[in-house]
Amino acid sequence: MATEVILPKVDMDQETGTIVEWVKKDGEEVTEGEIILVIETDKVAIDVEAPATGVLQGISAAPGEVLPIATVIAHILEPGEELPQGPMPPPPTPQETLAEVPPSTVPATPVARKMAAAHEIDLQQVNGSGQQGQVTKADVVAVVSSPPATAPDGKVYAAPAARRVASELGVDLNQVQGTGPGGRIQSVDVTAAAQSPQPMPIEVQSSSEPEVIPLVGMRRTIAERLTASYQSIPHINFTARILMDAFIATRATLNEHAERAGEARISATALLVKLVSIALQRHPWVNSSFTDEAILLHRSINVGVAVALEEGLIVPVVHDADKKGIALIGTEVSDLATRARAGQLLPSEVGGGTFTISNLGPFGVEQFEAIINPPQAAILAVGMTQQEAVPLDNGEIVAKPVMHITLSADHRVIDGAVAANFMAELKSLLENPILLSY
Amino acid sequence: MREITYLEAIREAMTQEMERDESVFLIGEDIGTYGGAFQVTHGMYEQFGPERILDTPITELGLTGAATGAALIGMRPIAEIMFMDFTTLASEQLVNQAAKLRFMFGGKASVPMVLRTPAGSGTGAAEHHSQSLENWFVHVPGLKVVMPTTPYDAKGLLLASIRDNNPVVFVEHKLLYKTKGEVPEEDYTIPLGQADVKRSGTDLTIVATSIMVSRSLEAAEELAKEGINVEVVDPRSLRPLDTGTIVESVKKTGKVLIVHEAVKTGGFGGELAGVIAESEAFGYLEAPIVRLAGREIPIPYNRTLEQNAVPQVANIVEKARDIVQLKV
Repeated sequence: MATEVILPKVDMDQETGTIVEWVKKDGEEVTEGEIILVIETDKVAIDVEAPATGVLQGISAAPGEVLPIATVIAHILEPGEELPQGPMPPPPTPQETLAEVPPSTVPATPVARKMAAAHEIDLQQVNGSGQQGQVTKADVVAVVSSPPATAPDGKVYAAPAARRVASELGVDLNQVQGTGPGGRIQSVDVTAAAQSPQPMPIEVQSSSEPEVIPLVGMRRTIAERLTASYQSIPHINFTARILMDAFIATRATLNEHAERAGEARISATALLVKLVSIALQRHPWVNSSFTDEAILLHRSINVGVAVALEEGLIVPVVHDADKKGIALIGTEVSDLATRARAGQLLPSEVGGGTFTISNLGPFGVEQFEAIINPPQAAILAVGMTQQEAVPLDNGEIVAKPVMHITLSADHRVIDGAVAANFMAELKSLLENPILLSY
Repeated sequence: MREITYLEAIREAMTQEMERDESVFLIGEDIGTYGGAFQVTHGMYEQFGPERILDTPITELGLTGAATGAALIGMRPIAEIMFMDFTTLASEQLVNQAAKLRFMFGGKASVPMVLRTPAGSGTGAAEHHSQSLENWFVHVPGLKVVMPTTPYDAKGLLLASIRDNNPVVFVEHKLLYKTKGEVPEEDYTIPLGQADVKRSGTDLTIVATSIMVSRSLEAAEELAKEGINVEVVDPRSLRPLDTGTIVESVKKTGKVLIVHEAVKTGGFGGELAGVIAESEAFGYLEAPIVRLAGREIPIPYNRTLEQNAVPQVANIVEKARDIVQLKV
């Protein structure tokens, strides 16, 4: 095979070389060790010797050209040899010999296999990141060095920064859920825990300066969520006037029964939640969430009831309200409200809501519009029940108990007609609670 | 401002100081007519002559001893060891004599010498010409150890090192010699023990030395495309070490990656990790202190293996991303 003449590397840090001149011409006979060309680095000029004896052929670099080291610039042919055609073939790839590897269904490198055995790791449980899912040493190392999900000795697994912040804010790390690798508590987890509901300190002010309420905890959360909701969700509102005589009569009947049974009275809210849940059942688009990719029509009907607190408000949730009896809903609402005011609600009891009711009737508000509680798609604002003039079919005007309700809906999900149909359904149910048993 | 190479900046510092101070002279192997293995002293023999540019035989111990002795009697020698690997031969004079004399004579003697030497791999020079042994000398009280990354730093730090009254090991990097940067023509010094924040960021502190500073800066640009904002701190001198700048940076970012070319075990990264863990920055750490350094092997000749033996830009990007995304 023809001998290659390459641009040699003559300096430690040399990347390229310049052809100065060819001492021998194409086709000339050369003897091994004879000077055939001169090249130059950025330091020196160097004579290059013939690497073999034969005929110099195929000179491919002209004087002045700058080429990377190891570039083939000519060949030396012995009698009978020919210049190779085209680019040089790449060096053969060494074939991996895995013959000695014990048979196994999991592809793994020998090192990974040995290491897994040493650590008693089942290769079936390791995700291979190598070619065709082959388990590599790095994969096994990752398994070996990954921290346990929970500290087995019951000690707190927290970053130093989390410990410092916890100490500064007086947060008990045992009460904090870690979001770092292996459940490690990070400082942001501590900050979040510190901002969860807790009574605000009340400062006594004597001067004319405004009282300063720091924007922390629940107040900040409310501010952020409501701003985000109002700015990002196109709200559309629908108000309906409800004749309440049947509702009041139904509640009276239910309460007579409860009294006879020695059970707690049924609140208006309980009956309202039940009727709303049935209307939602029939209009699933109102019981939904908007996401960037899709609209989620929730299968569960979880109705949140806003409860006012001294420092803000909280929305405990009656889960699966459509499947529960009115008495059970009543008990739950009353229990949730009591514990909400005592700050004793569990996260699961304020989460997972699919629709919210805000009832300001007891405060004497006739009618209002609420802001949607994301990721829900709608909220119902309930006003007070009061006597109003109601024209009858015969033209007579009488006083009847009337309540105004307003649905605020996410218009990206809920079209006007969908909302109107829901409101018609709800109005029908509230004015004829007997339809519950339809 | 004019741009010159790292190599030229070093030559300029030596030339300017030799013109200014007659007690400064060079001693080393092949530094005369040959101009040094990397041409750092190119042309200096012609300018200053054989009395101030001393070519020696291959005797690292001898030339370092000569430099130590000359420094003791008031000269300011700059010794060049052609490859850092051969500072092992020079270390008896350097570690046992030069570093100790000031202490042993109660401050009545001093050894104002500089030992310049190129370290690092990447040139295909294999096991005996590629090592990064800086931490061998960081461990010795009495020695100062400087590792410049940019041409600007190289000139200012070398002038400060020559004027320092203590022995300074001045560690250059072969792959940096031809990198260019802005360097003032006039004389200026950078105090030893002053770190430089080469890039300001908020998500992660990378503390790197020598060529790893350049690679970390490249990595930082990559990471910036992903929205990861990295701060790169270059200590510039390892002893004395500017702990304040490093600690403040870690307090700001809460996460730290240490990158150096030398082998990880016993390397300077361990010292940096210790300094950070002992400091008030400890309470700001959101993740373990991570070191990315040379593998536990001699530098191989094979180019692929050589590149895999020390951190490259892609390795830094990957490691930094893991730390920032709390995968460690």
